[in-house]
Amino acid sequence: MNLDKLFKRAKEKGIVDLEIFASDRNSLSIDIFAGEVDKYEIADTKAITIKGIVNGKMGTFRTEVLDDEVIEEILDTIIASAKEIDSLDDAIIYEGDEHYEVLDDIYNDELYKLDVEKKINHLKALDKYLHDFDERVTVVETMYSENNNSVVLKNSKGINLSNKANSAYMGGSVIVKDDKDQRVGFDVVISNDFSDFDIENIGKEIVEDALMSLGAKPVPSDSYEIVFGNGAIATLISAFQGVFSADNVQKGLSLLKGKLNEVIGSSLVTIVDDPFMKKSSSSRSFDDEGVATAYKELVSNGVLKTYLHNLVTAKKDGVKSTGNGFGGSVSAVNLKMEAGKSTLEEMIASCQKGIYITNVQGAHAGVNAVSGDFSLQASGYFVENGKKDRPVALITVAGNFLDMLKDIEMVGNDLKMSYYGVTSPSIKVKSMPVSGS
Amino acid sequence: MLLEQKLIEQILDAALETGADFSEVYIEDHQASVLQSVSGRLEKSNNTKSFGVGIRVAKNFQSVYGYTNSKNPEDLMKLAQDLSKSFHDEIKTTRTPLMELEEGKKHQVKIKPSEVALKDKVKLLKEAYKHASEYDEVIKQVICYLVDDQKDVLIANSEGRFVTETRVKVRLMISSVAADKGMMQTGSAGDGSGKGYEFLFDEMDIPAHAKEASKVAKTMLYADDCPSGVMPVVIHNAFGGVIFHEACGHSLEATSVAKNASVFCGKMNTKVASDIVTAIDDGTIENAWGSANYDDEGYPQQRRVLIENGILKSYMIDKINSRRMQMEPTGSSRRQNYKFSPTSRMSNTFIDNGSSTFEEIIANTKYGLFAKKMGGGSVNPGNGDFNFSVMEGYMIRDGKLAEPVKGAALVGNGAEILHKIDMVGNNLDRQRGMCGSASGSIPADVGQPTIRVKEITVGGRKKGAA
Repeated sequence: MNLDKLFKRAKEKGIVDLEIFASDRNSLSIDIFAGEVDKYEIADTKAITIKGIVNGKMGTFRTEVLDDEVIEEILDTIIASAKEIDSLDDAIIYEGDEHYEVLDDIYNDELYKLDVEKKINHLKALDKYLHDFDERVTVVETMYSENNNSVVLKNSKGINLSNKANSAYMGGSVIVKDDKDQRVGFDVVISNDFSDFDIENIGKEIVEDALMSLGAKPVPSDSYEIVFGNGAIATLISAFQGVFSADNVQKGLSLLKGKLNEVIGSSLVTIVDDPFMKKSSSSRSFDDEGVATAYKELVSNGVLKTYLHNLVTAKKDGVKSTGNGFGGSVSAVNLKMEAGKSTLEEMIASCQKGIYITNVQGAHAGVNAVSGDFSLQASGYFVENGKKDRPVALITVAGNFLDMLKDIEMVGNDLKMSYYGVTSPSIKVKSMPVSGS
Repeated sequence: MLLEQKLIEQILDAALETGADFSEVYIEDHQASVLQSVSGRLEKSNNTKSFGVGIRVAKNFQSVYGYTNSKNPEDLMKLAQDLSKSFHDEIKTTRTPLMELEEGKKHQVKIKPSEVALKDKVKLLKEAYKHASEYDEVIKQVICYLVDDQKDVLIANSEGRFVTETRVKVRLMISSVAADKGMMQTGSAGDGSGKGYEFLFDEMDIPAHAKEASKVAKTMLYADDCPSGVMPVVIHNAFGGVIFHEACGHSLEATSVAKNASVFCGKMNTKVASDIVTAIDDGTIENAWGSANYDDEGYPQQRRVLIENGILKSYMIDKINSRRMQMEPTGSSRRQNYKFSPTSRMSNTFIDNGSSTFEEIIANTKYGLFAKKMGGGSVNPGNGDFNFSVMEGYMIRDGKLAEPVKGAALVGNGAEILHKIDMVGNNLDRQRGMCGSASGSIPADVGQPTIRVKEITVGGRKKGAA
């Protein structure tokens, strides 16, 4: 699309300010099943999101059709939208910041250029490792997925920014079976450095827990001390990340409303948004509105320090945008709970009667981000007198997000970035109700 | 036509050049609008326009997929050639000439989204807001969404299929937040259809849905925590069918069956549920949310009886998995859009009517949970373990509905629970849902009459069963 023409026509049609956000995404994804390539996908998609202000209101149009002939339709729709919008919120197109962080390690050209055959062979090696690991491993599926994203932001107030990042994940799932039970294992490692995809490390994470959980049964319903493994707690934090959004707070949809500078968690809890995190393809030096991103503590030693803002929510609260305006809303770039000092073994050893939860499911449905209540299917191990006893499955662990943050007694030193993009260590919570047999 | 027939044929041929035995072109032209109102004011009007082409090339069980949103013949030919490089075989498959282009004639739409002025769409949101917000003073926030979606698809393959159709979906959803004394609860309701705006203008009872969202929010605000433990659970009709969708439906999709990763593998024509359970996946229901003329491989959608009186009768099978399973495809292949390779998915899935009345089911339950409105859930197809949340629940005591309870989750195993259904009502209804799985997020109806499950693990925040 001829952008000069777009900006020129917009002005002629009475659109005061215009902004375009162009993205170009190139991806590769490979699955191996039964030792053979089962899925191989390559893709290239370009899209432009166009925002325009008319009479103080903003219309938005996202298009993958990039011919010049759609320009008129797009601008007309933006004008029609802006006329109907009667929200009291201001529409803002940003003039830009003086300084933007330079991120030079979020794009790794070597990853992109690495021969596809090498990627496939590495995946086949993981497949073989898993098959050979134990005779109880019956079904193996391994996957590699790589994304190369570049974005450009331009507006009529002079912003002209670009960002390029890439990332990949490698992992797999197994079904393990003995004569009585069948369990599944799954894990992925995320990085943009291919040498991080160590077959043995990834393989063990996928298969060991599944094998150990064979024969898992529910425990009796009761309260237990809970150790959440780093992957499990990341899933839960991910489901609740919307509570930090000032947009949700202002709409009365967050349980953190009115809690700024209050203690909302144990002093061991520090949660940050780190937009400059290495090896994360989400990392950015500016948000979708052109505001410079920044590292910030959301929760500092248990105290809520800030919400996440975009331009509109920041203006309403009389603060500066935190650079978290993404996709027309507010979200964290790389949410992370900071590591503590305890080892996972120490946390397990501290339980008299506890459950070490390695996996939670149903986070998209079993949590209420407004009340903070959650009730999630979980699996893991029963821990008695500090010792991992037997595998547990088909239980639900229930609680309230804020109560849980306050009841965190130990924080692990085992940081891991999960499939959901949240990085967290394992944690131990004083007590939570568990429903089982 | 979305692309010239000659170019489509060239792509299909290029893809077969190196020995693949199947090639397919999926072309999609898509327009959508999402309107969001907050406290009755229109806050967002997001419009989307997309066009893309997905090319799939296969040999035996192996398939490769690529997509682009370029219309440029050179880009498309290059993609087909790149994909074909995955295959190396001397024996070449000859393409069957394309049949005459067939256009799907079912599921006709009266008022297309593009024919409706934005201000008329906004009126629907205002109406929903009015009834939801005026329901009760504890309702502090109402957010409404109006979504419309129109897709023109064209599918051609090397076996001669050549079909096209227009698919329209509209949906209005209301989410109410009730707050009092520092507590907050949400309730949601809404409806959608595979019809056009005639559904929203003339058929949907918008005030009733809006009030329903607020009623659920208010009821749950003052509800006690649900007790936990193992107990009988009565699951209400319509969206209650999510239990079957999650606990059983996903495990009957070839995606998991073909890879020997489902608990229902090798169970064809055996008893998998109690005698009173008959379950159907029907993608042909006129203008239903999950219906279409063709599946996303270009074959006619079908009505599939999955389970008949407790006996497993059919899986849901797509083309590539049908090869692995050595069974016929069932017209079940679906995808979110051109960015996804299609695979076996549900359409409109429901447990069929039984003989009990709703009143009989409640009266026959001495103690248990009545899950009136279900939230969402998920299942692990590998072993059938599932969980889902209850949005609106009530205790049943001495055969009567008692106090409302909140925060309940139902946890169980799909294969086991089907045997534990001991009463099936006669009030079948379906409800709209979005189902996320391997080939993306797709519209799918869930449904059932009111059913009773003899025993199920209920996870709640209150200790022990009363």
